[in-house]
Amino acid sequence: MSETALYVLQQLINGLTIGSTYALIAIGYTMVYGIIGMINFAHGEVYMIGTYTAFITIIGLVTMGVGSLPIILLLALITAVIISSTYGYAIERVAYRPLRGGPRLIPLITAIGMSIFLQNYIRLAQGSRDLAMPSLISGGISFGDPALFEVSISWMQMIIWSVTLVSMTALALFISRSRLGRACRACAQDLKMTNLLGIDTNRIIALTFVIGAALAAVAGVLLGLYYGTINPYIGFMAGLKAFTAAVLGGIGSIPGAMLGGLILGVTEALTAAFFPSEYKDVVAFSLLVLILLFRPTGLLGKPEVEKV
Amino acid sequence: MKQTFGSFGKTLLAAGSLLAAVSNVQAESLKIGIAGPVTGPVAQYGDMQKIGAMMAIRQINEAGGINGQTLEGIIYDDACDPKQAVAVANRIVNDDIRHVIGHLCSSSTEPASDIYEEEGVLMITAASTSPTITEKGYELIFRTIGLDSLQGSLAAAHIRDHVKPERLAVIHDKQQYGEGLATTVKDLLAADGIEAEMFEGVTPGDKDFSALIAKLKRNNIDFVYYGGYHPELGLILRQSREKGFDVPFMGPEGVVNSDLAAIAGEAMEGVLATAPKSFDQNPENSALTEAFKARNEDPSGPFVFPAYAAIQVMTDAIKATGETDPYALAEYLRANRFDTTIGEIGFDARGDLTESTFMVYRLHADGSKTALSE
Repeated sequence: MSETALYVLQQLINGLTIGSTYALIAIGYTMVYGIIGMINFAHGEVYMIGTYTAFITIIGLVTMGVGSLPIILLLALITAVIISSTYGYAIERVAYRPLRGGPRLIPLITAIGMSIFLQNYIRLAQGSRDLAMPSLISGGISFGDPALFEVSISWMQMIIWSVTLVSMTALALFISRSRLGRACRACAQDLKMTNLLGIDTNRIIALTFVIGAALAAVAGVLLGLYYGTINPYIGFMAGLKAFTAAVLGGIGSIPGAMLGGLILGVTEALTAAFFPSEYKDVVAFSLLVLILLFRPTGLLGKPEVEKV
Repeated sequence: MKQTFGSFGKTLLAAGSLLAAVSNVQAESLKIGIAGPVTGPVAQYGDMQKIGAMMAIRQINEAGGINGQTLEGIIYDDACDPKQAVAVANRIVNDDIRHVIGHLCSSSTEPASDIYEEEGVLMITAASTSPTITEKGYELIFRTIGLDSLQGSLAAAHIRDHVKPERLAVIHDKQQYGEGLATTVKDLLAADGIEAEMFEGVTPGDKDFSALIAKLKRNNIDFVYYGGYHPELGLILRQSREKGFDVPFMGPEGVVNSDLAAIAGEAMEGVLATAPKSFDQNPENSALTEAFKARNEDPSGPFVFPAYAAIQVMTDAIKATGETDPYALAEYLRANRFDTTIGEIGFDARGDLTESTFMVYRLHADGSKTALSE
């Protein structure tokens, strides 16, 4: 392979890594929108809480003397998913359910309020400084001609891909095969009718919040380990990028969120590869504007039929 | 008729205040205003300035004062808020204080210095590093701390003389501080024939620098100057190490922070940085350092010794001229050199130090640093 091809390959690898985590967070936005048509702006904060939980768990386990890496990772994932899901459920129960049926702007404002509340609550509880953790998983493999350009893939990147792949497959199977998944799809099609047919829609809505929060927590654990530093403000930018990914893929569509995340990540990496890297957000968001101009519903979104 | 009365009244008033001023000088000590944040988020910096200045005042008084007069330091709180700084400056003027140490934050010093210049008050800041403060060409405004921009020339000289990179990259965080320094370093090195192969910015708060690192690797960069703060540099170092990209980095004072070690871990070993000299480590200052420690005060803060030196130059000038008139003192400060606790210093026409108070350090993974050059 030529030097440029190897370089592009390296940037694709970098882009796919960051893109898969965008996709994991984007699922939460898109599922909630698909069912109740609201944007849960506090979702980025749920991701942030997942990262903090993972950090605290890992540091706790390491100080307790647990040395086995798979056990640490698994326990961190489980705790983060449980705590974040609880937050996801509680947010829905406290801030959104009492307002359901009201004007659309009201839940939007409570969502922003919730986001600010959670951010400041974590800031007060954990401090506003960057917390850092030594890298647990280092090293990786590299290939390509060292004289030209050496492509390196770290173990952490491979873990991110495989965990994302497993979570996404599990989600797809859950939605398409299980009874609850069918109920989710029914709610997305027609909430009122589903309720009339005897399905507890409040439960299904709570479930989508929990699923979204769990996937955001998975992303939180992965990114927390990958970057090694966290602060209470990481939820904002991650949430914004994931929301963009969801809109890019077509908000309301689960495969769309996955595709949107990957496209956004790869676009950012390739932009940074060939232009000064300060332009990566400019290009990524210009792409969003262009796609929305030509496909207002996003890449895989269906044109919205006005429900009567 | 009315007018005569008016001017007569003014004369009377002027005579009265003159009388008051004269009696003040004879009866009271010389008051020095110390203005900086006592409350608010950066109060700990205000504390550094306060303990430095108060120590100097105390020691001068113990030695008998100056010209038979003792000094009295009066603390004013501007909370590092420009609006409050203006109010404080007006209060200092109303309190008839003609000598001020402060303010601390550049954003407070700027509006306050306008008032001091206009009202004839001598001001020496020991902490504000923004170049714009002295750019206006004031007569009464001085500082005993180096400018941010001096770090750039120091870093460039060190890179040129000691590092001699083949392929240089200059990265910055697109903010005023970081990009300003990065541009200075790039331009100075270009003038010396070392062209930067890469010059680009990263987004502050960004976490993923893998694309940038791949690009540095592809361009066979062998030295990186980073203009910005520690969170981004820490992540760049950490991710570089993970990608097998292992070249020396250099940064400004903004990266010298214990959090850098926490973020970058082993990857920060050997990073170069320009930072203010640690005056408390200087053996010539050991007696003074002990005096601070005896009072349970921390002498290691960057503004403690510059604040002490500010009082030193002010009182040296008062002693030598035998006057307290700010204009006479300002003239003396510009014309002479002073032996202070931050070394032998002088002031240029703008009121800036003629010496650099920065130094190149090599940082270590355990958070310590070794001095490399003057």
